[in-house]
Amino acid sequence: MREISPPLSIEVADVTVAYANGIVALRDASFKLGPGVICALVGVNGSGKSTLFKAIMGFIRPVKGSVRIAGKSVEQARRGKRIAYVPQSEEVDWTFPVNVWDVVMMGRYGHMNFMRLPSATDKRIVAESLDRVGMSDFKERQIGELSGGQKKRVFLARALAQRGSIMLLDEPFTGVDVTTEETIISLLRALRDDGHIILVSTHNLGSVPEFCDHVVLVNRTVLAAGPTDDVFTEKNLTLAFGGVLRQFHFEQSTIQEHDGRTVKLLTDDERPLVFGKDGHLEYKDREGREKLVKEREKEAGK
Amino acid sequence: MTDLLTPFHYDYMLKAILVSGLIGGVCAFLSCFITLKGWSLMGDALSHAVVPGVSLAWLVGLPFSVGAFVAGILAALSMGWVKRHTRLREDAVIGVIFTSWFALGLLLLSLYPSNLNLRTIIFGNILAISDPDILQVLIISGISILVLTLKWRDLLLYCFDESHARSLGMNTSFLHFLLLSLLAATAVAALQTVGACLVVAMLVTPGATAYLLTDRFGKMLIIATITGLLCGVLGAYGSYFLNGSTGGCIVVLQTLVFLVVLFLAPKHGLLAARRQRRIAAMS
Repeated sequence: MREISPPLSIEVADVTVAYANGIVALRDASFKLGPGVICALVGVNGSGKSTLFKAIMGFIRPVKGSVRIAGKSVEQARRGKRIAYVPQSEEVDWTFPVNVWDVVMMGRYGHMNFMRLPSATDKRIVAESLDRVGMSDFKERQIGELSGGQKKRVFLARALAQRGSIMLLDEPFTGVDVTTEETIISLLRALRDDGHIILVSTHNLGSVPEFCDHVVLVNRTVLAAGPTDDVFTEKNLTLAFGGVLRQFHFEQSTIQEHDGRTVKLLTDDERPLVFGKDGHLEYKDREGREKLVKEREKEAGK
Repeated sequence: MTDLLTPFHYDYMLKAILVSGLIGGVCAFLSCFITLKGWSLMGDALSHAVVPGVSLAWLVGLPFSVGAFVAGILAALSMGWVKRHTRLREDAVIGVIFTSWFALGLLLLSLYPSNLNLRTIIFGNILAISDPDILQVLIISGISILVLTLKWRDLLLYCFDESHARSLGMNTSFLHFLLLSLLAATAVAALQTVGACLVVAMLVTPGATAYLLTDRFGKMLIIATITGLLCGVLGAYGSYFLNGSTGGCIVVLQTLVFLVVLFLAPKHGLLAARRQRRIAAMS
């Protein structure tokens, strides 16, 4: 008789986490996720995002409240190899003498025997996982010799190889090129469609509405949780970030007639760089001096 | 030609050569984990912290290695405890705890005079190693080799990415303790050969040498073990002709190998780095 497992879910109920030094990192945090969802965990540094991750992985025991995964305890979920974790790049020792293949194979350790000797199935799954992130050509490379985006993809492949149903990603878009970001997003979408739960901790706000169905806003507790459209509002974000968020209001001059009401916005997610239609740099107090650049160019005889 | 074979005519030399080779190999195997985990200082500290154990073992009539092993583990655990419960940095904790244990050992040795010679503990005396001591070394080495060959992949994962190991449901506290126990056990075994002062060289240098030569952990294990084994054998053998300290010979030989590799390693050596910079400058 095969046990019928309850549908996949993460249930965080009234979780309070305190560290040994008495600091309460998280108080009465609650939210619930069902199967097939990409959820963003949004908050400033030190808001308790990593603490929440650690509680879900069972690395720290809450002083109050509980985390249940598919109705079971975190320890049981971990024994079932259900939770895959993609670490931040800073957490990894990139000088370690392991290559790409070795790292992805580590995702299979939980499925191997006592001596961790890889079977043919393990090798096939590792090869498939590398293929899915487009890193098959780099499998012999030492991990320190990869670019930021490639490093991220290797660890994503490791999580894939683990074949867990829950994936936790810590700041997956930090130091990553655009191609990798697109690869990651389309992969996560595919996993979601397979019914996985994907939890992404990020402060990259721009990418959240693009690919996340759910948002959990964190600041020492869960401020709001739910579908992106309901939760990812200016009011809630101000609550979560306080004065930390950089606000950018376009000056009147930016969208005036002579620019054809066109704005191009380039951003490295911290401070946007704004150009007008004819290529001039946008800056504050431009009003009344719009023609200045062109006149100067004429004077210079261009 | 016959001169070169003279050391083998002496029973004590033969034993010294074989034991040095064995300990050199085992220490070198472990050194790969020690260097990558960043425990080099810990190896040094542990080898000094075992001294009170040796003294106490003599008082109660236990084998020295048992006392030394227990003392080493207790010292490491007390260090872990202090580190967890204070804001002190690891090096300060190591400095305080292990010197205290060493001092305690000196005190005990002076208060309860025994047949133990402090010189022997600190500098080792492989040439006078007794048969029961050889048996101890054989047992410790055998267990260490067995555990390491069976569990090296787990220990590798633990050293590389503890969070991942934990998320797979591995018992990382156990792996931590396992590595610590292996470190203490091999430090005790190596104490016999090279003494407390030079143990750390046996536990670090071969790993450091191999790390410069390869990017694969499996190869690193092989290179380090062979280096450690050969240096142990050749060092002990050479000490006969130099009429010098065996421990000194072994470690100097290891250092020479390390220096050669440091300069000439094909990819991570200093000369290779210079060559790559030149190529980059020309292109």
